[in-house]
Amino acid sequence: MHEIQLTINGQIERALVPAGMTLLELLRERLYLTGTKEGCGIGECGACTVLLDGAPVTSCLVLAAECDGANIRTIEGELVNGQLSDLQRAFIEAGAIQCGFCTPGMIMSARALLERNPDPSDEEIIEAIAGNLCRCTGYEAIVQAIRMAAERRSERGAAGSDRSPAPDGLATGGSDD
Amino acid sequence: MLGSFDYVRARTAAEASTALAERPDAAVLAGGTDLLVDARSGVRCPSLLVDIKGIGELGELVCGDDGVSIGAAVPLNRVIEHATVRGQLPGLAAAAESIATYQLRNRATLVGNICNASPAADMAPILLALGAEVIAVGGSGERAIPIAEFFIGVKRNTLDAGEIATRVAIRISSKVRTVALKQQRIRGHDLAVVNVAGAYLPEADRLTLAIGSCAPTPTLLDPMMVGSASPGDLAAEALDQAGGAICPIDDVRSSAAYRSAVLPVLLRRAIEGLLSGKGGA
Amino acid sequence: MTDLRYVGHPVSRDDGIEKVSGVARYTHDLSVPGMLHAAVLTSPHASARILSIDKSAAEALPGVRVVLTGDCLCYRLGLYMQDKCILARDVVRYQGEAVVAVAADTLDIAREACRLVRVEYELLEPVLDPGDALKPDAPLVHPDLGDYDHMQGVFFPQAKTNIAHHQKIRKGDFDAAYAGSDVTLEASFTNPPVQHVPMETHATIAHVTAERRVEIWTSSQSPYTVRHLMSVAFDIPHANIRVHVPYVGGGFGGKAGLGLEPLAFVLSREAGRPVKVVATREEEFNTLPSRQGLHSTIQIGTTSDGKLTALKATYTWDAGAYADYGVNIGRAAAYSGGGPYSIDNCWIDSRVVYTNKIFGTAFRGFGHLEILWGIERAMDQMAHKLGMDPAAFRRMNLLKEGDVTITGEAFTAGHGSPVACLDAAAEAIDWDTPSAEPEAPHLVRGKGIAVLHKAPAMPTYTSCAAVIKLDEDGAADVLVSGVDYGQGTYTVLRQIAAEELKIPIEKSHVTWECDTAFSPYDWQTVASRFAYMGGNAVIEAAADCIRQLKSVAGQALDVSPDELRCEDGRVFVQGDPDRGFDYSELALGYSFPNGNSIGGPIIGHGRFIATGLTHLNPDTGQGLPAQYWTYGAHGVEIEIDTETGEIEILKIATAIDAGKVLNPKLAVGQVVGGVLQGLGSALWEGFRFDADGRFLNPSFVDYKIPTAKDVPRETEQILLEYPQPDGPYGARGIAEHPMISVPSAIGNALHDALGIEFNDLPLSYERILLAILESGERA
Repeated sequence: MHEIQLTINGQIERALVPAGMTLLELLRERLYLTGTKEGCGIGECGACTVLLDGAPVTSCLVLAAECDGANIRTIEGELVNGQLSDLQRAFIEAGAIQCGFCTPGMIMSARALLERNPDPSDEEIIEAIAGNLCRCTGYEAIVQAIRMAAERRSERGAAGSDRSPAPDGLATGGSDD
Repeated sequence: MLGSFDYVRARTAAEASTALAERPDAAVLAGGTDLLVDARSGVRCPSLLVDIKGIGELGELVCGDDGVSIGAAVPLNRVIEHATVRGQLPGLAAAAESIATYQLRNRATLVGNICNASPAADMAPILLALGAEVIAVGGSGERAIPIAEFFIGVKRNTLDAGEIATRVAIRISSKVRTVALKQQRIRGHDLAVVNVAGAYLPEADRLTLAIGSCAPTPTLLDPMMVGSASPGDLAAEALDQAGGAICPIDDVRSSAAYRSAVLPVLLRRAIEGLLSGKGGA
Repeated sequence: MTDLRYVGHPVSRDDGIEKVSGVARYTHDLSVPGMLHAAVLTSPHASARILSIDKSAAEALPGVRVVLTGDCLCYRLGLYMQDKCILARDVVRYQGEAVVAVAADTLDIAREACRLVRVEYELLEPVLDPGDALKPDAPLVHPDLGDYDHMQGVFFPQAKTNIAHHQKIRKGDFDAAYAGSDVTLEASFTNPPVQHVPMETHATIAHVTAERRVEIWTSSQSPYTVRHLMSVAFDIPHANIRVHVPYVGGGFGGKAGLGLEPLAFVLSREAGRPVKVVATREEEFNTLPSRQGLHSTIQIGTTSDGKLTALKATYTWDAGAYADYGVNIGRAAAYSGGGPYSIDNCWIDSRVVYTNKIFGTAFRGFGHLEILWGIERAMDQMAHKLGMDPAAFRRMNLLKEGDVTITGEAFTAGHGSPVACLDAAAEAIDWDTPSAEPEAPHLVRGKGIAVLHKAPAMPTYTSCAAVIKLDEDGAADVLVSGVDYGQGTYTVLRQIAAEELKIPIEKSHVTWECDTAFSPYDWQTVASRFAYMGGNAVIEAAADCIRQLKSVAGQALDVSPDELRCEDGRVFVQGDPDRGFDYSELALGYSFPNGNSIGGPIIGHGRFIATGLTHLNPDTGQGLPAQYWTYGAHGVEIEIDTETGEIEILKIATAIDAGKVLNPKLAVGQVVGGVLQGLGSALWEGFRFDADGRFLNPSFVDYKIPTAKDVPRETEQILLEYPQPDGPYGARGIAEHPMISVPSAIGNALHDALGIEFNDLPLSYERILLAILESGERA
């Protein structure tokens, strides 16, 4: 058993974990952060993508024990005080979600992309999400959503916040476009 | 759980090597993208994982006038994004970039890729073509293993029990041109059906090629002079000289027929790239 | 039609916020107090007798609660054909079949227990190829086939054979017409089995309680089918089975019928505790069902001008070890089996054949991608033989008003327009202009077109119901038990409810989770029928609410309901808008000033049942199987690297006749996603088996689905609107259709580019290059 301390979405967590427990298992089963999904267990599908010290990784192939001292961000940390982030809003507006199972991992990959490259080309967007499999959408609306979020950020200035309120808070969205 | 193994975070290379020597079924954990998949499926059942990512010097990527040194804990994305590496060794960066996905490349390491020693290891051909050395530390101290001697069989390398690869050293001329090409089944992430790499030194007119996925181990071909030969002729000559050492097989991924058909094409294209001075894949 | 406020508009989906914030919970994410975890041990052999199972070591492992084997589970389940056991009994019929199941305190203990079970097998000779399975001396996958219950009058299994069903079309006189044709063609085609690959694997929690009530949470497309089949199989009254379907992470047909529910049920019943069963990705590939493989042979006869005179199709479906859905696919394939063409003389044999491999189930397209691979390739080959442009050849033969289909159905204007779809797709890729020169000599380009059609393949009594209840604030809650597993139907139903109830869309909700205790019946969320049937049911339910609103308002105002109208959430006297009430004032009844109350909670219900469908004549296939047909076409331009076989889609344009586009954003999403899934079937996907029938590629390492890097350079989606007379607002279903005929169009383009006929899927780089080399063609 290993005693670990890590920061998850800004909160310090302590846990006693067996060596064989993955970060994904820690998140989902110990901490009930079920937004991160398991799609394959072997790092091929990206559904389990979280940010580990800012880098997107497939948490199914990271041991919890390796994360002592690490800073982890999951999809649950994307929403702050009930406000949707630019990426989250863009995904909704662009129709980039169907069944939604790939969506958390997809958004985390996109979040990491925009942090390291605020003005990505379409090729760069595609390379960043190529490790996130989606069976429903055909990817075009996802690329469009990420592009939209990037464009809006650069319109507001690079120093601006990437969080902005949804027009009607958490209420279900109205007709738009 | 991925297994019932123990886990230890080594602080020094000596500590890691001692831990490995003490338990013959211990394994080095760097990125874990091969090891943990194998542990999950039961292909490998290590009793102990020795995490080397905390060993400072193993995380170093050093570019100097005489070459590049890539530590065992350096993930592939760091190699790819290193400006000097991209500029001086575009073939190395291309080989690394062809591996898996962005997420996996944040964990998987260059050294781990060759230690895994798949016949299709994507870093192997370019490192072979560059004549790299694997620096290993073990019970009897440190040694430098020429990469051409490193692969001894399918998923088997020449490291002794208790020995750990600490870095890969590439001594290069700044004028070397490099190319790496990979044939996949799909544009998305895939293992190689065939992979090749080449290094060309214009001042010596020396062309060094290496081939992966077509033999039990990645295979270095004898260096060649280019002279006035065409890329197609050079590719044919290279394969001719390699003879039976290059023996593609049928497997779930592809067929010997397809591999045999694509291999000369990739070699020719690699040579074209090298001779045209673009130097990159 | 007056301007629509919501229907036809790109309203954002309802569940977007939950999904982008990680709050949406799928069965994978659920747990129930006291829950155990299950693991299964599967068969390593394609065909074997189970001689013994030693589960003692497994049972002794601390934390193991239940170890089950098939010998104590004498159930056979199925919707159309009851041929499947929960765990293998006596024999295993495919490599990957579940043999032993364990429920334990943790998943790791359950898996460890499975490793401790010792099974002894006696190997039997497997039959792996459906052609071999048809031979008289073939091993029988189901020797007792003649004793199996099945849907009488619809499916006809043949005892003592491997034929689960044989559907026939006999129209006109094929032999005479073919013999008398000026030009004939015969070609054969193959499709391998493929997997749905939902991103969320199958998952089920079952909780059997002491009173033999069971509560089930499951990732399913069909809660009522689950309930019904469980009721029949386990002899439990329907009311004692409660099925919840939370968010579902994709289905594509793979979750249409029973999946893990029976297993979860028997484990829970035995353990006395809730049990959760989740498929690993390997199990999703290797144990859970696939899309059937198909071998087809097509014969076509035409006049010298290109008019189709005769078509014969022999479809041999590789059903795998079990054929429950397979038989219905075989049936649907027959009645669709000539393509959307006018054919006077048609002979089709569609046989669903057992083999010792992973079994097939419903898959987006329900056999139509597979049959249209052969048909649309054959049509192109015939066009070449005639020296005709493939588009012109099709135009001449596509169904038009006055034509009759191969089952004797009259084609009307209300069917939509296959020709308009063809023309739109062809124009979108500049069909009449040859491709531009590629940028390098080893690259070659080509263009191809293909048409598609499909009707919902469903029983003649398929139905759907909807309930709308008004909230205190005048908002509407729509209850349905069709499942929105990504296609967006709940959003469409919200739009329809808002439109019909005359309320703002913000006040129109579809209750997300299906619960058979509360959500009214829907047959299954398959067949591209949910928007059509659900939409119609919601329209009727809304009308019922309006009637109730007007009734109570009329009483309150002392006017006839005929004098009242509804607008903007109010019901008021026509021409005197101040004399009226907000819905909120009537939603729970109305109180007069003196306190007397009338009316009550406003709850409307509506329903829709398939009408006019008939069984197909077992000898001729004549009948009316189709509630409606949806037509479409793809035009594709490709570029091939003739040195590696790599193929790139430069552009694919897809035209679908939707009747009415209820939500353009969602409709386009269906088309884009479906086309890419079709591209997967076209270029990369297919199960591989070794000589012993073992599955070789049950993971993403060697089963490749398209990634973001594999998206075509350009795509175009064209949604036509030739109204469906009985569809909601004229709409017909489009969910499956974008996938169908994508491989066909690409196969046709490959011939245009290379002059090589490709008749087998997938069109891998390897297959393409080796064919180029064999034909000696190099750029």
